[in-house]
Amino acid sequence: MARRTRPTLVRAYAPIVVAAAILALVPLRYHDSRTMMGVVITGVLFAAYAIGFNVIFGSTGQLFLCVGALAGLGGYTSGILTDRTGAPIVLSMLAGTAMATVVGALLSWIAVSRSLGVIFTGIVTLAFSLAFQNLLLGRRDLTGGETGLTIDAGDDTVLGDQVWPYYLFLALVVIYLVVYRALQRSRMGWAFRALRDDEIAAELAGVDVKRYRVIAGAVGAAMIGFAGALYANTEGFISPSTFAFGNVDVRVIVMLAFGGIGSLLGPVVGAAAFTILDEWLVSFNEYYLIIYGAIIVALFLFLPGGVVPTLQSLTKRRRRPARGTVAARDA
Amino acid sequence: MKAVILDGIVLGLQFGLLGVGLTLVYGLAGVLNLAYGQIAVLGAIVVALRMDAGMPAFFAALVGLAVAGVIGLLLDQTLMRPVYRRRGEPRVLLGLLLMLGVAFIIDGVLEWRYPIESLSLRIGGDPVEIIGVRMRTGSLLASAIALATGAVLAVFFRYAVAGKAIRSVIQDEEGARLCGVNPARARSLVFLLSGVLAALVAVTRSMTGPVTVTAGIDFTTLALIVAVVGGLGSVTGAFLAGLVLGIVNTVSAFYIGTYVTTIILLAAAAVTIVLRPTGLLGAGRT
Repeated sequence: MARRTRPTLVRAYAPIVVAAAILALVPLRYHDSRTMMGVVITGVLFAAYAIGFNVIFGSTGQLFLCVGALAGLGGYTSGILTDRTGAPIVLSMLAGTAMATVVGALLSWIAVSRSLGVIFTGIVTLAFSLAFQNLLLGRRDLTGGETGLTIDAGDDTVLGDQVWPYYLFLALVVIYLVVYRALQRSRMGWAFRALRDDEIAAELAGVDVKRYRVIAGAVGAAMIGFAGALYANTEGFISPSTFAFGNVDVRVIVMLAFGGIGSLLGPVVGAAAFTILDEWLVSFNEYYLIIYGAIIVALFLFLPGGVVPTLQSLTKRRRRPARGTVAARDA
Repeated sequence: MKAVILDGIVLGLQFGLLGVGLTLVYGLAGVLNLAYGQIAVLGAIVVALRMDAGMPAFFAALVGLAVAGVIGLLLDQTLMRPVYRRRGEPRVLLGLLLMLGVAFIIDGVLEWRYPIESLSLRIGGDPVEIIGVRMRTGSLLASAIALATGAVLAVFFRYAVAGKAIRSVIQDEEGARLCGVNPARARSLVFLLSGVLAALVAVTRSMTGPVTVTAGIDFTTLALIVAVVGGLGSVTGAFLAGLVLGIVNTVSAFYIGTYVTTIILLAAAAVTIVLRPTGLLGAGRT
């Protein structure tokens, strides 16, 4: 595989280019509608969250039920710093990202060193999520409690616009996808796959399972934290419900599971599908939740592996017999 | 201090009862029932509607429990079928996602049809004095029901044939099958039981405060935490964890107060899991 670097390199990164090109066209249709731009920005933001979650859960099987809390850590740290001390946005965003990274690595380290299973990691991180939510509601002096926090940093810059933030988030998603793919193709990617397939075998083969899990936890948390910080500064307003478990984690899990856990474009496909679905369902008003629930049930009953892996295996199956027949004819 | 501890025990018994229904389903079927709280609320709303129609509280409660039990059974018979065909992580994930969908559907139905309905059972009678602390009858009745249910479950799982069969499936499904236990029937029984228990929690909770249509998610998260701290699959563990967390909750609420109480409760849960990764009385299966 390493001999023909260029074709594999193109094949590895081409999906990202295609996805970016398609997503870049979205504002052409919605640029004059403030509400619709808000909707698609949230969609891209969730794609970014889902990629971060995919690094943690998809690559190393750690069920982090604190995506919202990590994003909130990034968002609130950055927002409070900008608001209180007048620190430059870039600096405050880096501080927020650093906070999320440290907490993510710490949670991951706890889970790994106590060898907690999927469910137990889930519950510990869920406890962290709920505690963080209570902290946001409790420390009114810092966070503004339920009423939220207004950050007036972006109004007079390009961030006050509607179309620019979209491209900012799109760039973020592209960077995250490139990082994800680069991770997959590096030594670390081999380690991730090995430890996901069979943890004990990987450990015996000399893969430092603990180290790679903590790294994945830190990298994913950094992605989520930075996305949260960027959102806080472009939107200019955050409240505890912006980062609530029910509003972020549940959606991210559903999106990723729909798109395909552990696949490159799964998070983006899932985020796009559920953003469209959400918009479509708004017109149903009171039936909204019922239809939403029914669609989730139906999707996972018939597509349990996710869209992207299902499509991949379909195309692969079509390719393989073709090769087989050629070989048979040659013989 | 005595009063605080007693209040903690009252709350803890409720927590324990809440955890039991969830822990059994996970231990037996490997399904994390994220619709658990919604089933509880649905049961409570059925009770409230029956009472609005003039039915005496006791019979209304029976109807509510029955409806919730039947919903549990229906889920087992229909939606959970494809889940049972899987093993390991895909099973946990699919069960979790399907139940999440069910939770949305139940929430949606309730919020659409009965947005302002809520259940609060007022238990009359004067406060009763226990070791020098005056306790409300509502809290006492709720605790008595929780204790009685715990005792019945303990006896059932220790002595009844069906109870032993269920425990054998929790310990070793293959082994149980070889001994002639039908895991599918054990699962159906546990799903039924879990639905009834969920509604029972909602009914006893309504004796100390109203249970509203939107309470489902709070029930579910609390049940999850109690079940995991107690050790998934362990009935005694769930009650033990409930008591510990209940007492931690009221003591910290009394001495510290405000939002820190919840954070201490959650931290206590997290620390227990980290110190004993299988839960207080868990069998060690994750």
